Amino acid sequence: MKFRCERADLEKVLGTAGRAVTTRGGALPVLAGIHLELAGDQLQATGTDLDLTITVTAVVGGEEDGTAVLPSKLANDIVRAVPPGKIEVTIEGDEAHISAARSEFSLRVIPADEFPRMAEPPESAVQLDGAAFRDALKQVVKAASSDDSRPILTGVLMAAEGDGLRLVSTDSYRLSVRDLPGTSVLTGDESVLVPSRSLSELSKVLDGDDALTLRLGERDAAFESGDVRVSTRLIEGDFPNYRGLIPDSQPNKLVVNRAELLEAVRRVRLLAQEATPVRMMMKSGGLELVAVTQDVGQAHEAIDATYDGEELTVAFNPEYLLDGLEVTSGDEISLETVDALKPAVLRSSDNPDFLYLLMPVRVS
Amino acid sequence: MRLVIAKCTVDYDGRLTAHLPSAKRVIMVKADGCVAIHADGGAYKPLNWMNAPNRLSIEDDVWTVTSPKGEKLTITIHELYDDISHELGVDPGLQKDGVEAHLQELLAANPEVLGEGYRLVRREFPTDIGPVDLLIRTPDGIAVAVEIKRRGEIDGVEQLTRYLDFLNRDPQLRPVRGMFVAQEIKPQAKVLATDRDISWQVVDYDELRGIESNELRLF
Repeated sequence: MKFRCERADLEKVLGTAGRAVTTRGGALPVLAGIHLELAGDQLQATGTDLDLTITVTAVVGGEEDGTAVLPSKLANDIVRAVPPGKIEVTIEGDEAHISAARSEFSLRVIPADEFPRMAEPPESAVQLDGAAFRDALKQVVKAASSDDSRPILTGVLMAAEGDGLRLVSTDSYRLSVRDLPGTSVLTGDESVLVPSRSLSELSKVLDGDDALTLRLGERDAAFESGDVRVSTRLIEGDFPNYRGLIPDSQPNKLVVNRAELLEAVRRVRLLAQEATPVRMMMKSGGLELVAVTQDVGQAHEAIDATYDGEELTVAFNPEYLLDGLEVTSGDEISLETVDALKPAVLRSSDNPDFLYLLMPVRVS
Repeated sequence: MRLVIAKCTVDYDGRLTAHLPSAKRVIMVKADGCVAIHADGGAYKPLNWMNAPNRLSIEDDVWTVTSPKGEKLTITIHELYDDISHELGVDPGLQKDGVEAHLQELLAANPEVLGEGYRLVRREFPTDIGPVDLLIRTPDGIAVAVEIKRRGEIDGVEQLTRYLDFLNRDPQLRPVRGMFVAQEIKPQAKVLATDRDISWQVVDYDELRGIESNELRLF
């Protein structure tokens, strides 16, 4: 195999495909590599950990077709390190030569025949608004669990909702629900559970306003945008009944400037150490944030806010509260509560398509 | 434990080859058959070693240690300074701290936390190299050796692997599966455990104690 291209292009190709490469080694050493296939001027790079696969294609100056597997980390480090400009890659036998300007590298390749064969993506395809989907992913992915002992919670539920699509995630401490009205992907009561890691990588590789094609199979899904395809296995199992968790009505409502509250929580959080929660003291005059860490210190901050309801103090995990505030859009948010032990609902005042449910922390 | 202090050369032939030129070193032969060669430095790390199971044959001044995988360690003794043996007995292992000991008690009292229908056979089940925290039976009658740590790291998985090696030599027990349990388990430990077909589980100490966690959950 032999080709030339701009360093920036190869960096993007290897870097994007490399996001799916496993860094943990394991039974298949070849999975630490990126599979390259050159046909004419089309270079295709694939990285996979068998659950998540990212394939990138690029146009290069192809001189000799071939396939090879390059060690991902080393290849990426080399390409990032060489000077900008033209880069030439030649792979013969079990050695790859990378040269750019006056730098030359040679490295052992991994046997390409050991690389797993990827299944073809499902045929049926649906078009999505890439930018809207990317924004929606950013709002829900963080609330998914990272604990593999409860794999269902590591997924994001994609379900039909009215004439649109609903994305739901939860780690049992908080719940994110984002609707994409008019996005017709699933029908009736269809739903799939997509690993949040795969969607997180997808949101990073989605570029600008590129259209997004979704191909859904029984056990896997593929998202295609521009030159990138992100394929993922789906999680089998039943997602928790989240609808029952969303309160019908809540007697207390706080309305506050989102940025002001966000910054205030960030400041007060400095004294919320060792799992100390941040307390929100809500009354008709406004809102006060308090954090007290024994033997360390305390923080108080008053914020202008409109409050309708009983005087109430609710404590929250500051990281979870910040996550919700960061992904809620708009200048103004509302926080609806029942009491200090029931879930609070965070919404944007000007966008009804997203809500963030957050459980309080019990305090004495 | 046999300790030999000798000037020796060491050659290893296996996945790669290695040679240690002649020098004064300690050769350690443990009761389980492990052979390790140490220099007077390098902390706990041997210069070379062959784990058990292996076969040690000594002919004149040449020690040959072979493993079932075909690896060979050859130690040539040039000058012997000392050769002593001591009976060390079964090591009690690291004393568990309070939380670990309590976790063991709690899980022994509630083995169903680890799996539906699991029942306790014995706490501190003895093996030739020390006791494993819990021995449990699944509803299908399969034996499961459980190693419990406060923090699960690679060392704990290695320890459990050694226990399983010995437990699976017992025809009345095998097949014995392994389960690694801790309040938190490092990613590398999870990977190693999975690679060795050892299941792992993170447990919440507070929940086990019956104390409601202050972090409330939606479900």
